[in-house]
Amino acid sequence: MRIFFRIFVLSIFFLGVSQTTCFAAEGAVSSISFQEGGGCGFLIQDVGGSYLVAVMDLDVSQEGSHSMGRTRPLSLCQKGSPEQEEDEEEFDDIPEGEMEVGFIRDPFEPINRVFFHFNDKLYFWVLKPVATGYKKVTPDQFRICVRNFFSNLLMPIRAVNCLLQGKFIGFGTELLRFLVNSTVGMLGMMDPAQTALKLEKQDEDFGQTLGLYGLGPGFFINWPVLGPSSVRGTVGFVGDMYLDPAAWVSMDFGEWFVIRGYEMVNTTSLSLGEYEALKKAALDPYVALRDAYYQYRQNKIKN
Amino acid sequence: MNRSYLWVWMFFFTCAICVSIPAMAGEPTEIVRKTTDKIITILTDPALEGAEKTAERKRLVREAVSEQFNRREMARRTLARHWRKRTKEEKKEFIDLYGRLLEQTYLDRVEDYSGEKVFYEGEEVDGKYGVVKVKILTNQGTEIAVEYRLKKTNDDWLVYDVSIEGVSLVNNYRNQFNSIIVRSSYKDFIKKLKAKVEEP
Repeated sequence: MRIFFRIFVLSIFFLGVSQTTCFAAEGAVSSISFQEGGGCGFLIQDVGGSYLVAVMDLDVSQEGSHSMGRTRPLSLCQKGSPEQEEDEEEFDDIPEGEMEVGFIRDPFEPINRVFFHFNDKLYFWVLKPVATGYKKVTPDQFRICVRNFFSNLLMPIRAVNCLLQGKFIGFGTELLRFLVNSTVGMLGMMDPAQTALKLEKQDEDFGQTLGLYGLGPGFFINWPVLGPSSVRGTVGFVGDMYLDPAAWVSMDFGEWFVIRGYEMVNTTSLSLGEYEALKKAALDPYVALRDAYYQYRQNKIKN
Repeated sequence: MNRSYLWVWMFFFTCAICVSIPAMAGEPTEIVRKTTDKIITILTDPALEGAEKTAERKRLVREAVSEQFNRREMARRTLARHWRKRTKEEKKEFIDLYGRLLEQTYLDRVEDYSGEKVFYEGEEVDGKYGVVKVKILTNQGTEIAVEYRLKKTNDDWLVYDVSIEGVSLVNNYRNQFNSIIVRSSYKDFIKKLKAKVEEP
């Protein structure tokens, strides 16, 4: 029911109805919260659009009656052996909020897993060898300059989303950063705004703006090539494309593809080994990535 | 209330704050700082450089780190509600296996150290729980926000969770483990965990 409502909201957005209408509708979404379950009772809340499910209970569908829920004190739940009670007691004094575990729904997990596999192969068979070769023939500093250059061009995305989020200082910071880095910073290849003026990059995007206005992530989508995202993240990504200067200059698909491809190789060359580390540490790399994406984005929206 | 009394109270209040701040700020941060410095010293020690010293280096880092982590707390929080259904032996086995997995993960990451700078950005203490906020500046100029979560047990502050850019390690493993356990069984999950730990 709820998801249909969201899709409805999203479709309004896609139809291009004015943004004010859209945000008003999202406000309504954010205020919905409901309770489920009996017995111990666990609470599903919509906070900042996320599903916060009770203390340590992740599995809503199965064994719901055993769940501890977000009840305080926990001893209201089941009484167990003395040892268990001791555990409950320890859980009881955990600071409010910390034990709330969010997770993102994933109704299309089988398809997402297929694309996860696809992206995995894309990385190991194509992206990694190319990026490794590229890394060998270019100095680190050069690749950092390339990264900074592309990042500088995306100023409109960050600045406009600062505005949409009411972060006026952030908006000014982004404009000033662009001004300084595009000139003194040699077309954005250097970052004197950060190093000399301590003007931090404002990492805001439309997905975060939507999250701030109360739109939930919807469900998890693992796109081929683009990687982990959500309904909200995808809408945000599409929205941000309009602010990407690449969309303003006329380019045919070939040129666009080459530029994006190069940027991707450059980024990968600076983060080689990170994906491998995630995979190595994980028991289920897909779930690890999905959860990391979700936690990362929720944290971004909060800040 | 009499005006002069107000001043007296404010004076006491200010004194209390002045006294308590240095006592509050510090302890968890100092623990994290001490351990971090120790690890960096080991990793940058010229006498321990080179591939042939890897085992020795890892042993030293492991020693420095292991006493700062509360393995039982981590295990309990990770297994979450599945924890209560476990027997004493199962709990012990899980604490051991999970500890080894974390150790391997951590040691692998630490081995990549190449002069990153660590800044201490502050701490929050709430009763026996504390958070130490750290910023790591990589050589590529990227900042990584890291948070250490600590709990005071028997007068010692021990780390029970680390979050990197908002991604909590314990939460991440909890989601993974839970998804495996509810799909198959705890026994299956332990088998998988064992295989992972024993992976070369």
